[in-house]
Amino acid sequence: MKLSKLIIKKYSIISLAFSLSFGVSSAYAIQEENIASQMQVNINKTTLLLQNEQLKQEDKKIQIFELFDPVFDYSSMSKIALGKKWRKLSNDQKEHFENAFTHKLKQSYIDKLKLYTDEKVIINQTEKVKSTRIKLHTELIGKDQTYKIIYKFHRSKKNAEWLIYDVEMIGVSIMKTYRKQFSDYLSSNSMDDLIKKLDKNNATN
Amino acid sequence: MKIFLVLFVLSFSLYGVNPPISKYINTTQQKVAIEDDFTSDLEDEFDDESGVEVVDPFSGYNRSMTYFNDVVYVNILIPVATEYANIVHDDIREGISNVFSNLVFPVRFVNNVLQLKFDNAIEETGRFLVNSTIGILGIFDPAKDELNWEAHEEDFGQTLGFYGVGPGPHVVLPFLGPSNVRDAFSIIPDSMLNPTSEYFYDLPSEMSNGIILNGVYYINKSSLHLGEYESIKKDAIDLYPFMRDLYEQNRKSQIKE
Repeated sequence: MKLSKLIIKKYSIISLAFSLSFGVSSAYAIQEENIASQMQVNINKTTLLLQNEQLKQEDKKIQIFELFDPVFDYSSMSKIALGKKWRKLSNDQKEHFENAFTHKLKQSYIDKLKLYTDEKVIINQTEKVKSTRIKLHTELIGKDQTYKIIYKFHRSKKNAEWLIYDVEMIGVSIMKTYRKQFSDYLSSNSMDDLIKKLDKNNATN
Repeated sequence: MKIFLVLFVLSFSLYGVNPPISKYINTTQQKVAIEDDFTSDLEDEFDDESGVEVVDPFSGYNRSMTYFNDVVYVNILIPVATEYANIVHDDIREGISNVFSNLVFPVRFVNNVLQLKFDNAIEETGRFLVNSTIGILGIFDPAKDELNWEAHEEDFGQTLGFYGVGPGPHVVLPFLGPSNVRDAFSIIPDSMLNPTSEYFYDLPSEMSNGIILNGVYYINKSSLHLGEYESIKKDAIDLYPFMRDLYEQNRKSQIKE
């Protein structure tokens, strides 16, 4: 346990030096070997941002997503959430759904982050499931229990960077739950109803 | 650097596969094809879940009970727990939580043994001995803090799952929330091992003690998880099936571990 933390620490310094020397663009694109360290850097920065009392809520949100937007694959997540139905959408619907769903994902993620400002996050090991999939195992030390959180990365075909397509908390896959919910909802409602519902939901949250 | 290399190779191979003219004519078509291939690759991981209808014979009752519980949580449990959290310091509430957790040791021990997880059962025993003595009746958790001995949560529902018993239909319990036939039944054997439950004493006259203890337990527990229920609720399009899905996915992964 302690050794791994030490290694991560070492790695994050190396990767920091690495990203500095390579300039901004490579600091954003995550490479296989620095998935763990880059996420550690992002999570540490996020914790600091959340704890910063001088910053306004809105600014915090903006800065946090400057860190996470390049890592989350919102467009793949939108496709996964709808499954086979995605292909039947018009381009307009696709765009509208992707916007609404991305907004919802972000809101939900930031809501969860806010709850755990004072808790500790431990980044454990990466697990290569296959050549294009990696799971990053992390733990959130809560007040009375530890939560296992797994970030699932895939290698994008466009430019071979690693992006998150799903997050699993205590065994619950975010994408599976959305997929299930949307398919249930769409069995008795139209796609436009769903988009409307998401928009409404986003407006109230 | 690597990206450029991969891009270079990729563009080269694409060029090689497709005759240049068709490439210009069919760009949009090609884009769609690439896109489809891209998602279907990710899709296979999620595919088995969709389309399979959950057997839910009690859905009508479950739905009403979910809303009943929601009213109880939002109007009673959470306000009480919030008030309690304002009065009682974090460390004390964590201490109380530790005491309860220490008392429930027999449940974890027996279920670890039943699932042949002997190492975990031994670690649990060590935790109980250390925390009951050095940890002063379990208020503190030196076993974890100093020795890195973690608790190994196991209950009878997980034990049944370990031996291949399926969850059965989903059942929402009053106050306790989502469960299924297997896990709801498992509350009985677990309670017999649980000193904080009314079943443990097997005496009707002691029942009120159990209820009071359970009340303290749930209020204390909720005080350590304030904001979570509301946050989860926001993710729901339809509360009942959403909660059902969260519960069943979570249990499935607990049993697999």
